[in-house]
Amino acid sequence: MLSDDHVNEIIIEVENVSSGVQSHPSSNQIFQEKVLLDSSINMVSSTSDIDVVDSQTVSKRNDQKGNQVLQFSTSLNESMSQTLHSLECMGIDTPGSSRETVQGQKLIASLIPMTSRDRIKAIRNQPRTMEEKRNLRKIVDKEKSKQTHRILQLNCCVQCLNSISRAYRRSKNSLSEILNSISLWQKTLKIIGGKFGTSVLSYFNFLRWLLKFNIFSFIVNFSFIIIPQFAVAEKNTLQFTGLELFTGVMAKYFRDNFINPHIYSGGITKLIFCWDFTVTHEKAVKLKQKNLSTEIRENLSELRQENAKLTFKQQLTRFSAYVMAWVVSTGVAIACCAAVYYLAEYNLEFLKTHSNPGAVLLLPFVVSCINLAVPCIYSMFRLVERYEMPRHEVYILLIRNIFLKISIIGILCYYWLNNVALSGEECWETLIGQDIYRLLLMDFVFSLADSFLGEFLRRIIGMQLITSLGLPEFDIARNVLELIYAQTLVWIGIFFCPLLPLIQMIMLFIMFYAKNISLMMNFQPPSKAWRASQMMTFFILLLFFPSFTGVLCTLAITIWRLKPSADCGPFRGLPFFIHSIYSWIDTLSTRPGYLWVVWIYRNLIGSVHFFFILTLIVLIITYLYWQITEGRKIMIRLLHEQIINEGKDKMFLIEKLIKLQDMEKKANPSSLVLESREVEQQDALHLGERDGSLDLRFRRSVQEGNPRA
Amino acid sequence: MGGSGSRLSKELLAEYQDLTFLTKQEILLSVHVVLAPHLVDNEQQARSGNEHTGKPIAENTNSSPLSTRAHRRFCELLPQEQRSVEESLLAQVPFEQILSLPELKANPFKERICRVFSTSPTRDSLSFEDFLDLLSVFSDTATPDIKSHYAFRIFDFDDDGTLNREDLSRLVNCLTGEGEDTRLSASEMKQLIDNILEESDIDRDGTINLSEFQHVISRSPDFASSFKIVL
Repeated sequence: MLSDDHVNEIIIEVENVSSGVQSHPSSNQIFQEKVLLDSSINMVSSTSDIDVVDSQTVSKRNDQKGNQVLQFSTSLNESMSQTLHSLECMGIDTPGSSRETVQGQKLIASLIPMTSRDRIKAIRNQPRTMEEKRNLRKIVDKEKSKQTHRILQLNCCVQCLNSISRAYRRSKNSLSEILNSISLWQKTLKIIGGKFGTSVLSYFNFLRWLLKFNIFSFIVNFSFIIIPQFAVAEKNTLQFTGLELFTGVMAKYFRDNFINPHIYSGGITKLIFCWDFTVTHEKAVKLKQKNLSTEIRENLSELRQENAKLTFKQQLTRFSAYVMAWVVSTGVAIACCAAVYYLAEYNLEFLKTHSNPGAVLLLPFVVSCINLAVPCIYSMFRLVERYEMPRHEVYILLIRNIFLKISIIGILCYYWLNNVALSGEECWETLIGQDIYRLLLMDFVFSLADSFLGEFLRRIIGMQLITSLGLPEFDIARNVLELIYAQTLVWIGIFFCPLLPLIQMIMLFIMFYAKNISLMMNFQPPSKAWRASQMMTFFILLLFFPSFTGVLCTLAITIWRLKPSADCGPFRGLPFFIHSIYSWIDTLSTRPGYLWVVWIYRNLIGSVHFFFILTLIVLIITYLYWQITEGRKIMIRLLHEQIINEGKDKMFLIEKLIKLQDMEKKANPSSLVLESREVEQQDALHLGERDGSLDLRFRRSVQEGNPRA
Repeated sequence: MGGSGSRLSKELLAEYQDLTFLTKQEILLSVHVVLAPHLVDNEQQARSGNEHTGKPIAENTNSSPLSTRAHRRFCELLPQEQRSVEESLLAQVPFEQILSLPELKANPFKERICRVFSTSPTRDSLSFEDFLDLLSVFSDTATPDIKSHYAFRIFDFDDDGTLNREDLSRLVNCLTGEGEDTRLSASEMKQLIDNILEESDIDRDGTINLSEFQHVISRSPDFASSFKIVL
């Protein structure tokens, strides 16, 4: 283990310090001891720091030895500078420069074997000033150049690879520079963040991310579907490229935010330590301070009342309120779905009798109205239900809204795939595409109306009529859900209408500006701290789980089970959509150059065994990771207990030491009276309020200091 | 923008890029911001005017009025002062100038931030490189480790290497502001600090040291995104 090696080195340094101290005859015995213990304490407190740090570094993913050494040396550096500072305060001249270079040499020694890229990263990660980093780099480069004379000429293959990787990295850097310079809406987002904080900013970042994704999806669709159709009427089999690449992004988010054992709430500490530095508007800062104060007070009163248990009757009433609320909300959702289904069924006949062109918009209009009105009903439930933590309220509201939206989309998909596709209409795919397009458009119109009219009205009401309400706060959850809903519709529609990403792009673009203007005019900054990253994880999870997998299921059913229309579209005449791929494989198998594609298709994609083995491997890896997580949780608990126990041990030993010192003082009172007065004076002058912390550090590690020193 | 880039030599620029987490654009922008202070005021006025109308400022910093005016001003400054670029980069900028930047003006921790990053012996001014260090730690790409290290130093009001009760109560007072109604009472403060120490003080010695602080911060994934100042 790292600490064992370095503990010995610490011992040496303690002895050096003590010899340095003893060379000054003016210091007295107790003073020297105190200094010695002080420095040993600082040294050894960094050892205990190392233990804690080590457990963290072990659990980190990139377990580079260099990182461990550097973290050790940073904590050592700290304690070194503290020792020197405290020694200086006591008026002792320290051989300080030699201390620093010894420790600096260790750092340099660890940096030399690294590759230059790692070295730059490591130096960058050091919490030092620019000057120190520059010197460090110079020294390391000098040492490295001394050493490279001894290294033989590298293998020319390795040189080749090096130059290739260097060129690749340079091109990547320049590409990212270019991308950064054309980054969209950078200034606007900074203003929003400055006035409203990171939580509202996360919504706009999400919007921007969706826009980028739609641009990408559109480019893919355009190049693979539209252009070939213009050129040659070829069958398209590559629609899923964009959607499949998405899975990779999902997996990364899951790994970073979900399989991380450390995410449990820090409660009140998080409020204190995580001040939002991005808020730069003066009024917003004052408001934030006021809100933070209120929230702290609320949290404190909650903590005081936490121990109050509810009576059985109260629990029963609360439970029945929950059940009733859930029953009612589910009932409302089901009723809405049924209404939408029957309306959709009626729609066809309705259209035949009424030739009004606006009549086709009836179904989308009703759906959008439902999406607008029912969430308001759900938020009324807040008056009936009482939750212990306001966070649960937000989650429950979100879950209900999601359930409503997903079930509406689900029922519409069912209607499309069951009724429209099998109805024998010509070009039923186009009909579905048009329906989706109308839904999207109506949803967009409603959002715009809500931003401009609805929120404006709410502001007028809040400011002029019922002034106690005040300005409304930006409801992040509702807005993100609307974005996800629109994106789900786009994904379903891509198969039937490949130009939908373009339309979604335009709509998102306009939506950004609309929401921005409305935000600036009608809203005030949020009053409660919003756990932005946890919520973003939740939203990405939403985007993936019901939304994306639902879309995949719908499209899977379409492709494998439905018969394409006889006259329209690139799949015309086939018995099933999937037969296009079958016939493509068949044509490929006649050409000798492409037999490997056929082999991949037949044995990997088409065979059950392969997927079975793949699933098994994934399950095994998941199980392994889960076991590792459990093991680390246990280790954290054990180390925690160990640290607490060590603290207790040290307290005990310190008290013993103090008792011994007192006995010594009493034994030789005369010779030490003068010096103890000096000590007291200097203590008062230089240690001052740091006495408390020094005492505690004093107490901390005498056990290690004494037997080894 | 290209002209001012030639003022800052390529080697120096590359060195700054290596030693900090900043991109080339950000470094050049901070050159303008720090070494052309009068223009910061003008920009501020322009910005506050824009905020009232809710209009976003020109998105491409390369063509913004600030950089062209700053460039001209910078050119004017240099021959008059007869200083080389390197010297002007090492010049000490007093705190008042840094604190008047719009990004720092309203921050409750602005004095602590300046004091932590200052390397001058009197610790009352920042050189340009200190300012770059500051921006680097507060940038988007800095690792959470280095951010939590500096956050600890900023919150450590008495610079003794630990957060004791005094530090924590000063921290909370900074967070809640100066108003009489927003300040916490003594009993509330005590309860709050007791709770904080209970949650974060692992070895039960009454203070929070760097490792404990970093441990607590590692449990809040929001920290890295909120500990950010973008120029």
